[in-house]
Amino acid sequence: MYTIQLFDVITTAGVLYIVALGLLLVYGVLKIINLAHGAFLALGSYAAVIATWLGWNPWSALVIALAVGIAVGAVAEWRVLRRLYVRPLDTILATWGLNIIIVQSITLYFGREIQFAESTITQAVNVGGVTYSLYRLVLLLVAVVLGTLVWLVMRRTQIGIVARAVIMNEELAEALGINTRLVRFVTFCLGAGLASLAGALITPLVSVHPNLGVPWLINAFMLVLVSGMSLGNLALAALILGGAQVLVSSYGNPVLGSLTIVILAVIILRFRTIPT
Amino acid sequence: MTYRKTDVLTAACRALAGETISVLGRARRSLAIFGVSVLLVAFLLASPVVLGEYAQQILSQAFLFAIAAVTVDLLWGYTGILTFGQSAFFGIGVYTVAIALAYYVDGTLATAGAIFAAMVGAALAGAAIGWLSFWDRASPIYVAIVTLALPVVFTQIILSGGAYTGSSSGLPIPAPFLSITQWYYIAGGLLLVVTIGAYVFVSSDAGRVMVAIRENEERCRYLGLNTSRFKIRLMAACSAVAAMAGGFYVLFSSVAAHSYGDFVFGTELVVWTALGGRGTLVGPIFGTVGVNYVSAVLGGNLPFIWLLFVGFAFVLSVVYLPQGLVPAIGYGLSASARSIGRLLRQRPETAVAGWRLEPWAAEVPTVVRSGAGVPRQNGVIGATEEVPALEMQDVGMQYGSLVALRGVTLTACRGEVVGIIGPNGAGKTTLLRCIADGRERSAGEVLVNGHSIGRLPPQGCVALGVSRKFQTPNVFDALTVLDCLCVARSYRQPVSAWRRSRTVELPEPALHAVEVSGLMSMLNEQAGHLSHGAKQALELAMVLAQEPTVLLLDEPTAGLTLDERVAIGTVLTELAHGHRLCILLIEHDLDFVRNISTRLVVLHRGEIRLDGPLSETADSELIRSIYVGAAK
Repeated sequence: MYTIQLFDVITTAGVLYIVALGLLLVYGVLKIINLAHGAFLALGSYAAVIATWLGWNPWSALVIALAVGIAVGAVAEWRVLRRLYVRPLDTILATWGLNIIIVQSITLYFGREIQFAESTITQAVNVGGVTYSLYRLVLLLVAVVLGTLVWLVMRRTQIGIVARAVIMNEELAEALGINTRLVRFVTFCLGAGLASLAGALITPLVSVHPNLGVPWLINAFMLVLVSGMSLGNLALAALILGGAQVLVSSYGNPVLGSLTIVILAVIILRFRTIPT
Repeated sequence: MTYRKTDVLTAACRALAGETISVLGRARRSLAIFGVSVLLVAFLLASPVVLGEYAQQILSQAFLFAIAAVTVDLLWGYTGILTFGQSAFFGIGVYTVAIALAYYVDGTLATAGAIFAAMVGAALAGAAIGWLSFWDRASPIYVAIVTLALPVVFTQIILSGGAYTGSSSGLPIPAPFLSITQWYYIAGGLLLVVTIGAYVFVSSDAGRVMVAIRENEERCRYLGLNTSRFKIRLMAACSAVAAMAGGFYVLFSSVAAHSYGDFVFGTELVVWTALGGRGTLVGPIFGTVGVNYVSAVLGGNLPFIWLLFVGFAFVLSVVYLPQGLVPAIGYGLSASARSIGRLLRQRPETAVAGWRLEPWAAEVPTVVRSGAGVPRQNGVIGATEEVPALEMQDVGMQYGSLVALRGVTLTACRGEVVGIIGPNGAGKTTLLRCIADGRERSAGEVLVNGHSIGRLPPQGCVALGVSRKFQTPNVFDALTVLDCLCVARSYRQPVSAWRRSRTVELPEPALHAVEVSGLMSMLNEQAGHLSHGAKQALELAMVLAQEPTVLLLDEPTAGLTLDERVAIGTVLTELAHGHRLCILLIEHDLDFVRNISTRLVVLHRGEIRLDGPLSETADSELIRSIYVGAAK
């Protein structure tokens, strides 16, 4: 019995990690809070809906989602965000505006009703004496792979090192001839792409409607702020807060469970200064 | 210590002129408010003649939403607190009244009681949120987080309430039967009352403090203002008003729905406010009424397109018109009015300062007059000269493993000008910070006029007599020179939430600084438009307005011309010798330090290396070697 809960805790942490990764990347490098993150999640989910409509292999949704997310992110950065980096509080507003635009566009095309999308994996497996959803276990693996990939990119590649230089000291990076504009552009596109990919990945766990991103956005936002800017901290935060959510939901009240992350994050942040 | 103006007659004349003008000005302000209200009431009463029932219904709803948008504007546009959570307070109003009427009470009086209870409850919740959000070192993002979490929590509570709260299907209530026109009058009347109240508030002394907090909260704290308390009170008041709007709204719509307290509604209030124009009162009202009216009039699939359009308009306005549409239109109109006026060779009636329509900013007649200092609340000013003004005992400061200050022991008395010199990174600014903010130091004790500063925040240290001038000029850019001085004085006089004072009483040294620097002729200039030197002088005057006994100056001459330096030097010497202030001065210009200091302290790598009267230390070998870099 406890095995199921253990699986629930770690797979929930994995899902939260996948969802928050793009937000962390954008917040870490660009220092902006991307309130359009939820809309990018929705884009990814609708990519899965389209794949179902076209009768394609459900796995192709991931590729569509990544491409759509990067493309929309590129337009958003190019037309809007580029002008706002000097006004950080206004970027919160502008990204919420982007959220409205994306969500309303989806609503116009697909309508408000819940859509169906084919799942990639539906079977369950027997692990450690319990039957558990294979897909959730795969998501855990995906979380580890994505996290490692982002870590490797940041640590080992030229663009990652440049991005880290921009995080640490933007003026100096600029003075050294780094094209910070390009770094920001690439980062935002990647963040949007990751968000959209996450949306496609969580599709089997949610009901697909235009506003599906809002609750995820709020939880991801809290996790990112609690974890500062580090990938490791994000994993830890996802594990602890996500775990608390699972435990409160199963032993206490499901409503209280859905509030656990938000309330714990507000309390943690009250006693821990936010790096800005 | 009392300051006496030598020319008593001039002072008396000035005071008299000031009183006369201020009485006239005050009468003018209330007359204008009264006139505009009468006009608007007449307009409201007459408008049902041309408006159909449907339009009245839509407008009634929009008016109640607009009240909530005005509270968002007071918090965000005026004070700089970005809040997504006003919807939750609106929701508290909706559900308190709905639950009271659905289960417990009926009748007009009881309904009024329920609305009042909702307002009290929301005020308490708002104060609690404020207490959570506005601790001294909170980042502005933290407030946004808390206010974002609030509607989420509220909605979940409503959804989990089952039949009691109506959960997701809504809670119908026995609403009072009123005609649509009656509702239109009620909603319009409420909006009018709230707007006029808000106008009186933002154009009062407290409104000035709000803008000062938005512009530069740290400076406000170092001017002795308890900004956290101010913001908590404002939050509580705005929450109560939003709850009132919610209470009336549920009576109007007769169904309580959780969507009136959720996150999306909270962001919509921000969107409407931003579109109309934050920092103006008409902006959020026009934004709310416009967006709601159009979306209600459109039918079929059009509302989705309209929302898409609103999204685009919102993004465009954030990028290109951050102040919103109404100020932009106002600016355009006033610019064309000005050019027409120029054509007619007449002066225009009103001048709009920049893009922001600050009430009364440009036309207030003003006089600065000197006043004998108001007695200090804690009596520190009467401290005898025997107690040193400043004592630091073994003060240390560490950032992680980096030691910025170690074992600093320093005593300074009134009438001394202590020049603190040392190379970059020697810990000079850290030293000043440890005196002006009790929470900074990691070891040791600081006494000001014999009182320990303990762990007091900056505003507490100001009350003990410490004032700090920052390295870069730190003034309130959006306020006028006079307003900056008013804010600087406002910790001594209780800040009125409805009156606007047109005079400011300055102690003699501050007045002197204003006169010497030529600021007297620029009282209605916006501080952001002043030259670097004038800003430095203004900040010095603001700091002196605190009547400090210990004055901390961080490179007051940086970036000044030689003439300005000489002027500042004379002011400082006069302050120390004439008014017996204790001045600590960080300076890189050794000649300037030699000219005005009575004592030199040399800091190097966080330790005091030399401390003595100017005559003994000025030519010391150590200073030369530290600056050249030969010291070990």
